[in-house]
Amino acid sequence: MRVLIIAWEFPPKIVGELALYVSRVAAQLVRKNFDVYVVTHDDYRTGLDQRQDGLKVFRVANPVKTHISVLTWDLTLAAEFERASSDIIYSTARTVSLIDAHEWLCVIPAIALKKAFDIPFVYSVHSIEDQRSRGATSPFNLAITNLERLGCEEAERVLVKSTEMRDELKIRYGVSPNKIDVVQPSSDTWIDDILKVYEKAIRAPLQDFWRLAEA
Amino acid sequence: MVQRRNILMLSWEFPPRIVGGIAAHVHDLSRALAQTDLDVHVITLEFPGAEDYEEIEGVHVLRVDSYKYPSPDFASWTFMMNLNLQAKGIELIRSLKSNVDVIHAHDWLVAMAAVGLKHLLRVPLLATIHSTEYGRRNGLHTDYQTMIHQTESWLSHEAWRVICCSDYMASQVSWAFGVPRQNIEAIPNGVDLDKFRANFDRENFRKKFASPDEKLVLFVGRLVYEKGAGVLIEAIPKVLSNVDAKFVCVGEGYMKDVLISRAHHLGITHKIYFTGFLDDPTVKLLYRVADVCVVPSLYEPFGIVALEGMAARTPVVTTNAGGLSEIVEHNKTGVRVYLNDPDSLAWGILRVLSDKKYAERLTQNAYKKVVEVYNWNRIAERTKSVYERILHEYEKGSWKPVSTQSSKPTS
Repeated sequence: MRVLIIAWEFPPKIVGELALYVSRVAAQLVRKNFDVYVVTHDDYRTGLDQRQDGLKVFRVANPVKTHISVLTWDLTLAAEFERASSDIIYSTARTVSLIDAHEWLCVIPAIALKKAFDIPFVYSVHSIEDQRSRGATSPFNLAITNLERLGCEEAERVLVKSTEMRDELKIRYGVSPNKIDVVQPSSDTWIDDILKVYEKAIRAPLQDFWRLAEA
Repeated sequence: MVQRRNILMLSWEFPPRIVGGIAAHVHDLSRALAQTDLDVHVITLEFPGAEDYEEIEGVHVLRVDSYKYPSPDFASWTFMMNLNLQAKGIELIRSLKSNVDVIHAHDWLVAMAAVGLKHLLRVPLLATIHSTEYGRRNGLHTDYQTMIHQTESWLSHEAWRVICCSDYMASQVSWAFGVPRQNIEAIPNGVDLDKFRANFDRENFRKKFASPDEKLVLFVGRLVYEKGAGVLIEAIPKVLSNVDAKFVCVGEGYMKDVLISRAHHLGITHKIYFTGFLDDPTVKLLYRVADVCVVPSLYEPFGIVALEGMAARTPVVTTNAGGLSEIVEHNKTGVRVYLNDPDSLAWGILRVLSDKKYAERLTQNAYKKVVEVYNWNRIAERTKSVYERILHEYEKGSWKPVSTQSSKPTS
């Protein structure tokens, strides 16, 4: 099965905890025989990076370098995420089955790719705006909040790391708890639980895709 | 059966939503293109009272929600509303079974949607750059302006070709963004002559603006520094010492109060009429009753006002800023005066007002030029040939929305 992960940071670009988390997920998926592509940002180390274990990392630079906020930074970067992802999808004969979009910054390309190619996506939520900017309701915060809400609405599944986050999404964005999956990174069955979420998102038994993985 | 080509235009404004000159340009161009064998679709922003979908003279117009939530600033709003434009674009292209041949984007305001659509659906992109941030701001002074400049640059690089409205703009785009000059087409804006043919009671209309023995000097433009309204004010006393005239200024802008107070200081308040915004049909009639139309711009990518004066058979007095020097040839199709020089401007106005035969010769030549060069049918043909050239190259290439297992993903 072919999976595309979109994350705004990935090693060696490490800003927060996201980079290492996504790196672990990707590595584990590769071990389970999935064909994994990561599309991420780096202003210098651009291009395709094929790792020894088979993981393929595409790094794209922001086409606009000067910005007035992380919001505008993300909005122009989104087009490059769409480009790299589209190139991957076309070159693999449109056999990418699923997109895993991490955080609000990757919601825009995920939605665009879903609309253009009918590829479902999982919205992996690590934090939300109200936690990062407690109580702030400036237009800037609202724009990000809107993107988070949009991500919850358009995603097939919303993947969170704690029951607390699940409750937050329920309260803040009115997401139905049936749509949210909680997978704790510390759990023994962590990666298998993530795979179950992927399976739900694709709405087909994973067995079919195990076979595809070998094809 | 030969399939008709589908063109998708992306524009942040389209009538009835009119902000600047882009709306009229896209409106006129798309209708003229639809007259040829092209199917033209315009995706633009909503406007109160306007339909979500309508067909205007063969052009399919789709209007989408603009971003409704409070925005930190204009540029952020622009980027956010691009999401809606892009979503509509995907929907449209897929509904046409991916048969959109060219995406034609107008200015940086639709860059994000245009570039995204280009790559998602592998459709060649063409960009018309109407003006640049560099030119609008006379340099880049803040991060905000630099961000917009870089967005313009990005769009022009992602485009297969760039269209500008004058050689002047083509040069500007070339040095400002580093786009090779040969990738830029200079195609002028046109003017719709039909808009200057309505029947009206000339005497009664003119009376609203000037008395019968006053010459009517018309200025149409935003009351901002680069349009030169300040230069005009300084020229007025000199004109008035030779001829009785009324100066009618149509437009709004941040300089309005300054201009009014300067007029008061010069003692000419009774000779100048700031009309504010006027609806388009009224402005078109004003062009026709004016004795002279002045365009004292300091920066001018094109100079549509001069063209409209010429279409209305009114003599034009302009500077040589930007595109104006390409439209108005001195002593032939109009009078050209020195930039930022009130005395020169006064001289030009008096030259036209004092010599009727000279003025008539100018207007005849000017009208002829408008009919031959600035008609939308001709401009549509030139634009269409750019589409054809792009498509010819695209068809020969391997960058297509077809899936091939063997091809390597590009970086």
